[in-house]
Amino acid sequence: MTLLRCIGSMLLLIYWFDGTAATAQTDSTAVADSLFSLQLERSLQPEPSSIQQQSAPRSFLSVNPDISAIGDFRSAYTSIGTRPIDMYLNELEIQIASVVDPYARAEFIVSFGRDPESRELGIELEVATLTSLSLPYQLQLTLGKFKPVIGKVNVLHPHYFSFVDFPKVINNYFESEGMFMEGASASWLLPNPYDFYQELTVEVGRAGSEPNAAVAPGEDGQLLYVGHLKNFLDLGPNSTLEFGLSGVHGPNRFGSSTLLAGVDLTFKWKPLRHNVYRSFSWQSEVLYANMRLSDAEVIRTYGGFSFIEYQLERRWFVGARYDYSGFPDDPARKEQAASLLLRFQPTEFQILALQYQYSKRNYDRNMSQVVLRVIFGIGSHAAHQY
Amino acid sequence: MDRRRMTMSGTRIRFVVGFGLALAFLTVSTGYGQLKVVTTLPDLESIAKFIGGEQVDVYSIATGFQNPHFVDPKPSYILRLARADVFVTVGLDLEIGWVPSLLNSARNAKIQKGGEGYVDASLGVPLLQIPTSASRAQGDIHVYGNPHYWLNPLNGKVIARNILDAFVRTDPDHRSIYESNLKEFNETLDARMKLWAASMLPYKGKKIIAYHNEWPYFEQCFGLQIVDFLEPKPGIPPTPSQLLKIINTMKRDRIKIIVISPYFTTESADLVARSVGGKVITLATSVGANEKIKTYFELFDHNVSQLEEAFR
Repeated sequence: MTLLRCIGSMLLLIYWFDGTAATAQTDSTAVADSLFSLQLERSLQPEPSSIQQQSAPRSFLSVNPDISAIGDFRSAYTSIGTRPIDMYLNELEIQIASVVDPYARAEFIVSFGRDPESRELGIELEVATLTSLSLPYQLQLTLGKFKPVIGKVNVLHPHYFSFVDFPKVINNYFESEGMFMEGASASWLLPNPYDFYQELTVEVGRAGSEPNAAVAPGEDGQLLYVGHLKNFLDLGPNSTLEFGLSGVHGPNRFGSSTLLAGVDLTFKWKPLRHNVYRSFSWQSEVLYANMRLSDAEVIRTYGGFSFIEYQLERRWFVGARYDYSGFPDDPARKEQAASLLLRFQPTEFQILALQYQYSKRNYDRNMSQVVLRVIFGIGSHAAHQY
Repeated sequence: MDRRRMTMSGTRIRFVVGFGLALAFLTVSTGYGQLKVVTTLPDLESIAKFIGGEQVDVYSIATGFQNPHFVDPKPSYILRLARADVFVTVGLDLEIGWVPSLLNSARNAKIQKGGEGYVDASLGVPLLQIPTSASRAQGDIHVYGNPHYWLNPLNGKVIARNILDAFVRTDPDHRSIYESNLKEFNETLDARMKLWAASMLPYKGKKIIAYHNEWPYFEQCFGLQIVDFLEPKPGIPPTPSQLLKIINTMKRDRIKIIVISPYFTTESADLVARSVGGKVITLATSVGANEKIKTYFELFDHNVSQLEEAFR
């Protein structure tokens, strides 16, 4: 073996230090064999298990959690109101996530957010979850504070949503960043004969810390229940279709209960070969509310939105959205809005979005708004959601 | 009444027969008793198929003509991972944008990092370009080293060994088959390596330009010299100033070849090539980059023949 290594090394040295001209004159097969000796050398090395100790050190190995900070700065023009032109830091989010042990992972998101009324920055723990990794029967359990699965947009944090504001129906029925809840969430991958992705999620707990228009943190053991059925189909290598059904039942701030039912539909297209250059998505959601104010009085309202987004180039996107929304506690009020979006994404860690929105409301003057949003993130690379 | 009863009976029979056929089809199609293996890239799939042979059913999430950094984590992949016995990943953060979210939702302890079915194929690979400092000002850097190591065929042996170890851990009964297949894989690779080395020998030291920094292992193996990249920094699209710099470099050093991957558009490379009278060649970064490349060996057959033709 030592002899073989010796011969291999000699041939290798001759090969690599030989000049190009000299090499050209050398018998090609002989020198090919000398290059082959490099491979032979490698194959004579110890087994990979022991090579692991010898290979170059892998930097930054640690058990520290993934930490990232995401800023959301805005500059806005609004046609009505006391501040027609405004510039402000809307939010700073700190995310910390890691695997806890072989059985679970944890995630925490703390938000330094701007209060829309007082304009002061406040601190809120938005997410604190423990999620199982290894339950049997394709079950997954999450405990803590999280965003419940009501449609597709509510679960997102604002910087993951293409448009600069959440749809009106989310604003009017929950909060500007959607609904939060504290409790437990269990999801199950349903086996089905057609072998497509079907996930049933059942969540139970209390609505977020503050009452919103549709539901409120309950008292005397009143709990919030959320259910969602997600159906996902690959239409081909380049396109997918997702159809979801949502249901919510929980206490409201009138001491009674609210029932919500929702439908979401999403189509996505992205050519595999040029997946960084072109994409298209169309997403729509409708939410129906049955809000009981007392034993005798019930308000039935609904709202929804539909948007498209098209990727023009590697870094450029355009989008358009239509919103219609009632108010769950006031059947007389209605709002419509049309939005146009231009988004520039120099890298995955910086997104600039310019949005124009025209809102038509039957309870206030119509409004035009232009918002420039800059999202910037540092720290660990967050995995994308589909 | 009798007729209705007969119709119901017929419906029941059809249902039972249909259900039985469907069950039989599912049993056959899923390959009862086979190890279910999911890989991130088709190169790993090709090697896993060779090592596992008839004992494994292998599925690759990404295709060979897709940018492996940017794969959408579709829920349908979660189904595959939920049932997998073995999961093989390139590692080194190549798939950081999509693998973590898939694994977090897979509900499968076996294939989580540290599980017996989790394979980081890079373990034991002599890594290149490990940065001494890490900052995103340098573009899309990989702090553990350049992750495109499968493009050196010699590293295929290390990948194959890592996959074999996982197969033996999860299915020790077929150890001898896997080891025999590994031996055959290594011998085939040795034989082909001789041919590839002979073909590339006349072009040792040749300077070329690449679009993205994904060829250092290939470059090292075959003695090429990649002088610069169309991307000013990894992951940053070519800029006019960078293209001008490349044009000047190519003219000065008489470089005629620009290497590009199947998933990048060729406009900027074509522009530069026209300016210097050079040519753009698309090399395969993975098995399946085109319909002729069906195995890990054919990946190098293709790339070597493309380069030979371009240099000639």
